[in-house]
Amino acid sequence: MKRITFICLVLLLAACKPNANNNSRPKKVAVVVSTLNNPWFVFLAQTAAAQAQNLGYEVKIFDSQNNTATETDNFENAIASGYKAILFNPTDANGSVVNVNKAKAAGVPVFCMDREVNSATGPTSQILSDSYSGCIELGKYFVQQLNKKGKYVEILGLVADNNTWSRSKGFHSVVDLYPGLQMVAQQSADFDRNKGMEVMESILQAHPDISGVFCGNDAMAMGAYQALAAAGKASQVKVIGFDGAEDAIQGIKDGKITATCMQFPQVMAQTAANYADAWCKGKRDFPKKIQVGVEMVTGKNINEYMAYGKK
Amino acid sequence: MTKGIKYSIWVIVIAFIGYNSVYFKKLSEVKAASEKFNAVDYAQRLYAALTTSSEKAITPDQLINELRSDKAKAFNQYGKALAIGSTRYFMVKGSGVVKAITENEVVLSTANKNELHIATEFVFGNAIRDASAQVNLNDFTNTADLNNISSEVNKIIRNKVLPPFKSTVKTGDAVAFTGAVGLNREHLDLNGMELMPINLNIVK
Repeated sequence: MKRITFICLVLLLAACKPNANNNSRPKKVAVVVSTLNNPWFVFLAQTAAAQAQNLGYEVKIFDSQNNTATETDNFENAIASGYKAILFNPTDANGSVVNVNKAKAAGVPVFCMDREVNSATGPTSQILSDSYSGCIELGKYFVQQLNKKGKYVEILGLVADNNTWSRSKGFHSVVDLYPGLQMVAQQSADFDRNKGMEVMESILQAHPDISGVFCGNDAMAMGAYQALAAAGKASQVKVIGFDGAEDAIQGIKDGKITATCMQFPQVMAQTAANYADAWCKGKRDFPKKIQVGVEMVTGKNINEYMAYGKK
Repeated sequence: MTKGIKYSIWVIVIAFIGYNSVYFKKLSEVKAASEKFNAVDYAQRLYAALTTSSEKAITPDQLINELRSDKAKAFNQYGKALAIGSTRYFMVKGSGVVKAITENEVVLSTANKNELHIATEFVFGNAIRDASAQVNLNDFTNTADLNNISSEVNKIIRNKVLPPFKSTVKTGDAVAFTGAVGLNREHLDLNGMELMPINLNIVK
């Protein structure tokens, strides 16, 4: 009995001895992104990962596939695997709050990129585009391009994403003041290009005489343009998107897309990674929200811009 | 003894569940949290403050000279914005002579013959809110409240400031103004800056 007790004590002491190798292993940062099915989010995730790697962290990108349950699995995986910080692009402004709070309870800071969650206390910081202001500029341009009259359609993004409503509200805060402009249809296409095309095709059946389409992102705008081109109406309908994605920028150059708003995912991703690094080094006071300005791109200034806000 | 331990465990479990199910909060805290932000009042107070105090504003001619001389310094010294990025907003004041009147703007020529386009139709956006330097992003947890400040200030301009001005202004009039100009540091265009007006007076 005494021998067994002695062996147990020795084993216990051995388990408590600090592992000399722990300090030499890089800390880990997780990038949890809403979807890798959209090139814009691929760029966001890869930029965040690259910046974290440059700062000396081991990084893994987790794809939530636009599914909150998958996102929950990603968070549980990241927390259990000892990731020190999460750079997060949420799937659902309300549904994702529980995941953020779980990470916070586990001592893992969460830095939201591009999309926010509806929680003032959960995330350590939220770095977002000023979508509302960007869509005010798009709304002004839209009114001018349509000469304050005509029928138009709005194609919304994911309804659970606050960006969808920020963009829509910014746009309508201008356009709704002009009674000559009539919204004949408003439907969601989940920020997806193929769905954008299908929604546009369907709406054109009922409303063939529209003059403009406002889309909550460039992917849907490109899909809408495809549908309009197939219907032989591309030259008579102004198509507006949001993001500054590569195909939309080329689309503006080609005269297919009328305007978009350039976001700066590089700024958001790098800021999030830098904040995570600062957290790991002991900093604890971060601004709860940072807005990153967006810039309208049209045929007039297209030569001054590259996709994704790159210089 | 066994029964005693069992009952004790039950008491602890029930107490634990009960403790985590009930929260006590001060009524004053709950009332404060549920009070909606009044953007109309806020905007009216902000507008009143802007119309009575414009000593930090510079003239458009001076702004253009300083930007041409040292762009970085001028942006840092005079430009304001709540969002990070290349766009900054500048509070300007001065006077000019009306050169042209169109459906959407009145074009002034300043003392140095620079053109200033006063927006008279599309008064939207954050130029006035941000140039005022009176609004702190971190005072607002709700982005919609911040957006509503700009919206309500712009409504005051569109509904109260512009109608009397538009109905009487003529080419050749001298106009004194205060307002906000938005400029992009990376894509700077000083030919024909657009002014979001705060005050407009036709000088007789």
